[in-house]
Amino acid sequence: MRLPRSTLFGIGAAVVATVVIAVLPLFLSDYHRSTGATVGVFFTAILALNIVTGYSGQISIGHGAFMALGGYTTAILTHDHSWNDIATLPIAALIGLAAGLVVGLPALRLHGVYLALTTFAVALAVPQIAKNYSGFTGGTEGLALPTHSGLWLYRTSWLVAGIAFVFAWLLLRGRTGRAFRAVRDSEIAAASSGVGLAVYKTLAFGISAALAAVAGSVYVLVNNFVNPDVFGLTLSLYILIGAVVGGLGSLWGVLVGACFVELLPIGLTTSHVSSSQLVPVVFGAVVIAVMAVVPLGAADVLRAALQFGSRTSESVERPLGTTEG
Amino acid sequence: MAAVSFTRGRAWSIPSVWIVWAVIAGGCLFLVIGSIESSLFLQQTISGLANGGIYAGLAVALVLIYRATEVINFAQGAIATFTTYVAWQLIAWGLSYWVAFACTLGVAFLGGFALELGAIRPVERRGSQLTVVIASIGLLILIEGAIGRIWGNQVKFMPAPFPARIYHVGGAAFSLQDLGTIGVSIASVVVLWLFFQFTKLGLAMRAAAVRPHAARLVGIRVSWMLSLGWGLAAALGAVAGMLAASSPSVLLQPSMMDGILIYAFAAAVIGGLESAAGAVIGALAIGVTLNLLGSYVSWITPPLLLPAAFVLMLIVLLVKPSGLFGRTRTRRV
Amino acid sequence: MTRRSKGALAMALISAAVLATVALAGSAATPGVSKSTIVIGGTFPLTGPAALYGVIPKAENAYFQYVNAHGGVNGRKISFKVYDDQYNPANTVPLTKKLVQQDHVFAVYGSLGTAPTLATRDYLNKAKVPQVLVATGDSYWGAQYKKYPWTIGFQPDYPGESRVYGKFIATKVPQAKIGVLMQDDAYGQNYYDGLLQGLGDAKSKVVDVEKYDATQTDVSQQVVKLKASGANVFALFALPTQTIDALVVTTKIGWKPTTFINNVSASPLFMGLAIKSGANVDGDISATYLYDYINNPDTAISKQYTSILSTYDKGGDPNDANNLYGVASAWTMVQALKQAGPNPTRAGLMNALTHLKAVNPFLYPGVKLNTTPAERFPIDQQILEHWQNGAFHPFGHIFAKAR
Repeated sequence: MRLPRSTLFGIGAAVVATVVIAVLPLFLSDYHRSTGATVGVFFTAILALNIVTGYSGQISIGHGAFMALGGYTTAILTHDHSWNDIATLPIAALIGLAAGLVVGLPALRLHGVYLALTTFAVALAVPQIAKNYSGFTGGTEGLALPTHSGLWLYRTSWLVAGIAFVFAWLLLRGRTGRAFRAVRDSEIAAASSGVGLAVYKTLAFGISAALAAVAGSVYVLVNNFVNPDVFGLTLSLYILIGAVVGGLGSLWGVLVGACFVELLPIGLTTSHVSSSQLVPVVFGAVVIAVMAVVPLGAADVLRAALQFGSRTSESVERPLGTTEG
Repeated sequence: MAAVSFTRGRAWSIPSVWIVWAVIAGGCLFLVIGSIESSLFLQQTISGLANGGIYAGLAVALVLIYRATEVINFAQGAIATFTTYVAWQLIAWGLSYWVAFACTLGVAFLGGFALELGAIRPVERRGSQLTVVIASIGLLILIEGAIGRIWGNQVKFMPAPFPARIYHVGGAAFSLQDLGTIGVSIASVVVLWLFFQFTKLGLAMRAAAVRPHAARLVGIRVSWMLSLGWGLAAALGAVAGMLAASSPSVLLQPSMMDGILIYAFAAAVIGGLESAAGAVIGALAIGVTLNLLGSYVSWITPPLLLPAAFVLMLIVLLVKPSGLFGRTRTRRV
Repeated sequence: MTRRSKGALAMALISAAVLATVALAGSAATPGVSKSTIVIGGTFPLTGPAALYGVIPKAENAYFQYVNAHGGVNGRKISFKVYDDQYNPANTVPLTKKLVQQDHVFAVYGSLGTAPTLATRDYLNKAKVPQVLVATGDSYWGAQYKKYPWTIGFQPDYPGESRVYGKFIATKVPQAKIGVLMQDDAYGQNYYDGLLQGLGDAKSKVVDVEKYDATQTDVSQQVVKLKASGANVFALFALPTQTIDALVVTTKIGWKPTTFINNVSASPLFMGLAIKSGANVDGDISATYLYDYINNPDTAISKQYTSILSTYDKGGDPNDANNLYGVASAWTMVQALKQAGPNPTRAGLMNALTHLKAVNPFLYPGVKLNTTPAERFPIDQQILEHWQNGAFHPFGHIFAKAR
């Protein structure tokens, strides 16, 4: 149950955020608009990951693979078949959904770290498959797509992000969301309450993958290029970092997470040839520090602020990994 | 509280471990027969085993960390690379190989210990396992950057601990290095086993990992055990790194262990994340399987070999969800 | 405030605004060029799996600093911005946009890698920003100039290089049975196509082709099969890691073919690593276009090369041919900038680069920089070299117009 104050605050925050995001490009250069578009891509991707890991408790470190599916769908349809960019997005979502259901089924048999490593394997396998069928995907030399203005990219990316957010919010508020949370907190209790584990766990994967695929499509549009390196392991790891830094099990932290993984490295970027290698050192250190100081993510900080110190056990989302004995 | 076995599926009438060993024995038999039939097959098998030996070293370190802390340590490869650079530096400063080797082991142990204390424990204190995994990813990024910053981008040469001798058996060639790498991995498994089974410290570490609360009650300093686990894993990783760097297929550069880490994970999962012996078997299996697939199955084109290793892993997991030698997970209600 | 002083204040503010606008507009005339500096920049893999090429921008930067210390170019100092894209086009694109829109570079110089360059080619050409002396041996840069006039390469292209090997084998190695090891993608295909073109009618001499994926560092499986095919010529078209491994395995299994190694992987640094790991590379052949520093360490140019590295790039090993490549490339850029004159424009730079006729001291004597608007490969000549007594020695004549 939520305190009325936090719901009001939540809606208020959403309105403010929407206005800021909508108005922001007016004050930004074309380059910064492109950057903003990329933040939007990570927003959608981290949102997607949150659905399967934060809300239904199945760890995935392979969402880059689903992004790759969406990205390549968009690239191939636009490059080889002259489709309109936006029209490819629903197709990408469908393909992502199908892939997510396909992955979700065997995932039922796996738990915890084994599931995580399997998704890790999928993340590595998909770029290799893209490399292999190079006639279709352009291989390592990839496919170059038409460029767009920063403003177009920003608007497209955040429109998609907004739709994804609203969709996720509605989904998670309802029965499906409750089922997801029940599955995450205790599979045995959920099963004994009549929650169809297999259905909901697979559904979580499917929806999550669909959203990630759309994020991947927009990512490819932002960079006007696709090749296997675009969807390497690094991407999956960054999405995971973003989700945890934002706070798993919370939709509000997603924005913080997206800003963290996209803007911090850019902020650290240096044009001095001799200092470039310090960028990963600083970024890595910051990630560790954030995990030490704010292990439950930004959303936890937000929640603490809302509750003004009075924290009841049910309003604290239990972090993953501490539910099992 | 009743313990409920949550593994759905048939109840095995034969202990599953026996079936696993039977399958492994069958695989070995297949390799032996093939090698007798064809010296090309023998050569591919031997090269595959040599590659597997390189993965095995890191896989054992991963298993050790997992057993001690229940965490997948993404930074394991980068730590191994860093310690290998330390060895390189000591040799460049004039120390002989074995002196540098020994010093590196010490540095690695202390370094791993310190890393756990400084970077992981603050995270562990309030977070969950996933938070620690994220921290390990941060550590991976940090360490690889640090290596490049300190030692630059140029690839370097790491001497081999084994004399460069080539043996020819049945038309196939292998080097002492190949044998040695596999041998060291097996030896490390044996040493670990002896340590965990027969020493007080090993027992304490096992207790700290499996039942931290109970362990504290009997006076075991659980946090020191975790640091010790990281230290040992770092030392093992250092050995794996030094052996890998000295092999001709791996160049000493900051990203040296990235590819190996991937196969090491697959190997560790195949073996069951808590079994060092399983990790070695998994690693050797991956090495041989990929070489044979690449040689004889033409529709598995080179880019598909990496996914093939994971298909192998997936097949094992679908039949035995905790890996070949992993403990079946029971979950308390 | 009185009305009059308010009016005066308003006039002053308006004038200031007008002047500021004029000043800004004036300086926007040629981006990256001011009275004292020219700003150029590029994207390179400084971290990540391709980081071993990260020595190149360091060497280029060293050369630019050397030039700056000796008066600069037409009185301007070169400011070289280097961004790390980790060989990932998803980083290259935003970093390139940053170079153009935030750093206002005059030109994007030396960007490394085929995919990263392809990813940014459309954007840069649309924005009419020079994308010059890109560090990749693909033929696109010289071949597709009609569609992408703002892009130009530097080094001899990969098919051109392997064409030279093909011609050599066809004429000088009778009874050749060729086994090829190539990377299973466009990079390897480039070399393979060139080899077949160079072989011409002798194409049928290729008896086996084995491929590897960049994620496989061990290629013993492929080399073993090549030996089993009976090949006596080994066309080794691989990246440095796999090249070193292939050379060692070849020796290990007792195979003694005539080996051709692609230039990218034939740096003395890599050959040295192979030898230390047990490879016997005597007689192995490659091609080069760079100055023969190793065999002429005491010439003025070699001394200049080593002193540039030791002064401005302290970690730089002169034996790493990538460093020499970087210096040679940077020399070319400076030459083009000089040719573009005291008031360089972007179009002027492209004009200079498409009318390049110069002798680059860091190239092999006889290999010239030569472009025309219709022939946009700055370096078109190579010479074969074979390994003897611990180093590559050029032999034969310079293969010209290897197209």
